[in-house]
Amino acid sequence: MNASVSATVAAPRTAPTVRRKRRRIRGSTIAVMAFLTICAAFVSLPLYVVVVTSFKTMDQIALGEVFALPTTWTFEPWVKAWSEVCAGMTCEGVSHGFWTSMKILFPSLVLSIGISAVTGYALALWKIRWAGTFLFILFLCAFIPFQIIMIPLVVLISTIGMFGSIWAVAVVHTVLAMPLLTLIFRNFYKDIPPEIINAAIMDSGSFWRIFFEIVLPMSANIMIVVLILMITTVWNDYLIGLTFGGVGTQPMTVILANTVITSFGEVRYNVDMAAALLTAIPPLLVYFALGKFFVRGITAGAIKG
Amino acid sequence: MPIRWSWASPRIALIPALAITIVAFFGAAVWTIWISLTRSRRFPDYALNFENLTRQYDRLFGDNAWTTSLQNVLVLAIGSGLAIIFGFILAAMIEREKRAEGFFRTLFLYPLAVSLIVTGLVWRWMFNPDLGVENFLHSLGWTGADFNWLADRRTATYGIIFAMIWHGLGFYMALMLAGLKSINSEIWSAAKLDGVSVWRLYIEIIVPMLKFTFLTCAILLSLGVVKTYDIVLAMTNGGPGTSTWTPAYFVVNAFQSRGNIGYASSAAVMMLLMTALIFLPLVLLTAWQTKRREAQAR
Repeated sequence: MNASVSATVAAPRTAPTVRRKRRRIRGSTIAVMAFLTICAAFVSLPLYVVVVTSFKTMDQIALGEVFALPTTWTFEPWVKAWSEVCAGMTCEGVSHGFWTSMKILFPSLVLSIGISAVTGYALALWKIRWAGTFLFILFLCAFIPFQIIMIPLVVLISTIGMFGSIWAVAVVHTVLAMPLLTLIFRNFYKDIPPEIINAAIMDSGSFWRIFFEIVLPMSANIMIVVLILMITTVWNDYLIGLTFGGVGTQPMTVILANTVITSFGEVRYNVDMAAALLTAIPPLLVYFALGKFFVRGITAGAIKG
Repeated sequence: MPIRWSWASPRIALIPALAITIVAFFGAAVWTIWISLTRSRRFPDYALNFENLTRQYDRLFGDNAWTTSLQNVLVLAIGSGLAIIFGFILAAMIEREKRAEGFFRTLFLYPLAVSLIVTGLVWRWMFNPDLGVENFLHSLGWTGADFNWLADRRTATYGIIFAMIWHGLGFYMALMLAGLKSINSEIWSAAKLDGVSVWRLYIEIIVPMLKFTFLTCAILLSLGVVKTYDIVLAMTNGGPGTSTWTPAYFVVNAFQSRGNIGYASSAAVMMLLMTALIFLPLVLLTAWQTKRREAQAR
């Protein structure tokens, strides 16, 4: 018994030359693959149900066969979700929210990445007293719950007169993202050999010239990671958009939640699900296009030690 | 002149980040703590309430909705902790069978790209008896299947745990996979030579080796659970009644629906305290790690 188990332990490492061993390996492989497939089904089932239902007619949904394919494929729910569905009082579909989210996304990206990259660069490559202390404080700020600073930010931003605008949402995203992004950039830049920077300083390079001419061209990899992290965070955010966005400037997630949760009358599940998919598609596209960087992005957010 | 600028420029460049830290983090946190000690209602009232400084907190802990929120945080943390265990099992399996590694990794991770609002809505539909997941189970012959968890105040929290595990599973799997790959491959051949069984190898050797990864996962999970808001809103909107409220939901509700800034602030301060309690081990851990790394470097 013990010998057979240890044979499977070594399975991936030894070349399967002996036929008896090979059969045992396959047995355990089948069991593991079966388990993985069941888990994969659990993970993909909800997406399957939502996609399939969004193409069904309401008549077919009423029959209750959730896992069945649509008998007649219809794109009407998608069209309705994009341009007609009602969120509270207004009925203009999720398209308005889509464009608002886009308008929020770009200033958020530029502001947060701009500030964090420069701060990370200054802290990593220039001798600054208290840099260590500042990094530690940023580390604490990165994990502070948003609720503790939410109300004063509302007061502050309405005092400035920005409340309810796209810029308010973008600025709050920048504030919340800055500590984590700075830490990520600093950890990346600190590995640039000091010789390069010293030579550049000798060569009368100024702080900004070194940043734009040497450091920035070297940061393509980290930029992609940070971009993915920020795009998914900003696009998937709900609370900031709800709290700081005005009536016409609410992002897509808020519009979606209003559409589904506060709908009156007959519930059209196919339209609701199409709306949910429309909201989920942009970050999913980013994920499937840049999978490897995505993993690095989220784990960079997690382990910085 | 250039020397002076090379001194000044980096410091000027730090001003925005410093300002954000001082105003939006430090200042804002102090503001919230201050307001929680006043009589503020709809608008901030900066006069400290000296007769009864802890008035808001006394009220908070007499509030059943807050007690429920605290209980729910514990239940959610323990329940969604299963995601770490399943994540480890999946990672171990994927790592052993190199087959289709990329395929499974991509599949298990995709929920992470989906927003918590969409996740919550999707699982709200999965639990909806009208849509027929329950019907489907009945038609399979499991007639006792009751899948309408969200309508019952005793089971609604478990429904949310289900959705949280679905969303977080891939993340913990990815962290565990990174941990497993960093293990010295000689362990496997050494275990084989010693005739150690697979189970013992994993439980007695691999898991203790990954204790740092497990601890990181646990801390990240707890920090996430304290902030749980979106998914509750999308799945149950706090209901039935107040049975699925969380501290984050409580703060937003006190601020937006009840319009009570002082009350919301006191709940937010409690959230900060919870985060600090979770954070303490993380700070000690990083200190210990840097110490160890320095010892290794020497």
